[in-house]
Amino acid sequence: MKNTAKQSLSGVALPHTSTAYHEEASAQAVAAPQGYWRAALPRYGVSVLLEKRALVVNIGLSAALLAACVLYLSLGSVTLSPNAVVASLVGRGDSMTTFMVQQLRLPRLIAACFTGAAFALAGVLMQTLARNRLATPGIIGIDNGATAFAVASIVGLGVGIAPPAMALAGATTAAVLTFGLASGSGTQGYRFIVAGIGVGAVFGAVTQLMLARVAIDTANAAYPWTVGSLNARPASAVQLLGIGLALGLVAALALARSLTLLRFKDAIASGLGTAVKVGRLQVLLLSVVLTALAVAVAGPVGLVALIGPEIARSLSSARHVPILAATLAGALVMVLADLAGRTLFAPIEIPVGVVTAVVGGPWLLWILMRPQRSRP
Amino acid sequence: MLLTKAGSSARWRCSSRHWMLILLTALVAVSVVSLLIGAGSVGPRQVLGLISGSDHAEARFIVWELRAPRTLIGIAVGVALGVAGALLQAVSRNPLAEPGLLGVSAGAAFAVSLALVLGASAATLRIPVAQLGALIGCVCVLSVARLRGVGNDPVRLVLAGAAFSGLLGSLSALMLLYDQRAADEIRFWVVGSLAGRRLDDLWAVLPSLLVAGAGVVLIARPLAALALGERAASGLGHRPGLIRWLAVGCVALLVGAATAIAGPIAFVGLVVPFVARAIAGPDIRRTLWFCLPVGPLIVLTADIISRVVVAPSELPLGVLTALCGAPVLIAVVRAKRLPML
Repeated sequence: MKNTAKQSLSGVALPHTSTAYHEEASAQAVAAPQGYWRAALPRYGVSVLLEKRALVVNIGLSAALLAACVLYLSLGSVTLSPNAVVASLVGRGDSMTTFMVQQLRLPRLIAACFTGAAFALAGVLMQTLARNRLATPGIIGIDNGATAFAVASIVGLGVGIAPPAMALAGATTAAVLTFGLASGSGTQGYRFIVAGIGVGAVFGAVTQLMLARVAIDTANAAYPWTVGSLNARPASAVQLLGIGLALGLVAALALARSLTLLRFKDAIASGLGTAVKVGRLQVLLLSVVLTALAVAVAGPVGLVALIGPEIARSLSSARHVPILAATLAGALVMVLADLAGRTLFAPIEIPVGVVTAVVGGPWLLWILMRPQRSRP
Repeated sequence: MLLTKAGSSARWRCSSRHWMLILLTALVAVSVVSLLIGAGSVGPRQVLGLISGSDHAEARFIVWELRAPRTLIGIAVGVALGVAGALLQAVSRNPLAEPGLLGVSAGAAFAVSLALVLGASAATLRIPVAQLGALIGCVCVLSVARLRGVGNDPVRLVLAGAAFSGLLGSLSALMLLYDQRAADEIRFWVVGSLAGRRLDDLWAVLPSLLVAGAGVVLIARPLAALALGERAASGLGHRPGLIRWLAVGCVALLVGAATAIAGPIAFVGLVVPFVARAIAGPDIRRTLWFCLPVGPLIVLTADIISRVVVAPSELPLGVLTALCGAPVLIAVVRAKRLPML
């Protein structure tokens, strides 16, 4: 218990003053605990513990993400060699290749990375908050709420408010509804999730309602919102998501310690010095904002929020909430899914939402069916 | 309203007879309104004029060729989905079991999409294929429900059903993206609506509805015994396994037929038994009786609203049933203790 409480976070440097550290480990004062590397700066009295496994996992996932990105940029209607891609990225390719990579594929790649990362980060936060690996924002209706409001702004009901702002309003509404309606039964257990499914169904119906009211052209323009697609996304929303993701990641890492503790019972968490209610509220807020910003870019691709954290959790040790690993894994999944959607059935493009649903649906079923053992 | 505690049987029999009368009157009223009101320009005045002998050709056509079949089909779909929901809930002993929510309707829709992509034309094969798909969906759901752990938790079953229908829905979408012809044929069917269905469709599914009705009459008593538990049921001379299979067959016939006509319509199978149980109490036999008027009542009301709310265009029926069904779902889940059926 003490280990979990005091020591470093998933692969992230946590400064310990060496005096405090001495008090804890009495016999072997300077040796790092098993599974950790200790990087010390004796001159400044600062030492840092790095979990070996988390470090390896994060570096491995980053490498895989990088490779997937190069693959993403090189495959398509015209196949480029990886060398040409790298050359045109640094501005040394021929003009045609440079245009294709920098103007056509790169913006979409960035959108994929950002949305995947944001969905997965929001997912891991929400799962930890609810202590249930199925409680991702998509499943408890937050995606649908954000989508409904964003579609409202597109079909012209919300006078001129940009989709990201409306998505934020929708996500907040859905979250408040779900948590409010489930308040009697607590955030644990499955009732909370079914209340979320109900809320999601209402917002899904509202989306359909709005799409039925408008002319067919507007409805077609809003169609990607109903399945989730990365085709021709607005650049401003992507920029906003980038800023939000950076801030959100920093905030999540700052919250990492209280996140680790939120996995325990309330009594234990508050006994170890966490303000449980405040912590929950912060985590919930962060998760809702990230989901909303991501939905504003890509529509409801909620299952990434399930798959990303699952991958990260299976790779990492159970000691911490794998925040960084989940973020990287989410980006990786999104990039690969969109790559598959673009290339598998070319020239028909499969929306990324359909790809993730086809892959993530069986996974979700498997999680439900197998015997219950571990928890996030 | 809850009559479970009523001591004298005479009292609730009287009361439930009153309820039946009220519901039947309401159903007749709603059917008449369904003939009177529509999205077009023919309003109640023209329709009433038709009865008093005026010869308004347009009104005559709209009422007898469009609205009357639509009303009949709405009644059939409401009965089928309501009874199927009650059966499924009784068999899985789960108040949240609903054909749409558990993926039975999605199974039927998926089967029809698959048949279309493989080259069948929409009109000929739709009904048997939809019923086959519904049967497979039913079997999947119930075998999952009998898995250890999942079956004990009604809510987890719903989540599995939601995942299952989500998966089937995206697979259907995938196939339809691939095949433009099938997409065109099926686009107006997958949303779930009563608009533009012909009376021929109703005649085509009527045999299977009748077969299912006969089956329901056969298994109503054994199902009531099964509610006491498997041992009690077999002690009373019933065979639980056989009953369960018959019930699953009936559900598949009913849901397949309803889906074949109207497309997948969610939440009707949840709301109707919920209302019927609130009136009739826990006995499945009385619940089934009350499903007969309540189902059409809800479907027709939703259909009328779907016609007028965005007139002159129309709303898919499934949207409205979701709007009124999701609050019921939340209410059931919020109940302190889920009633075990």
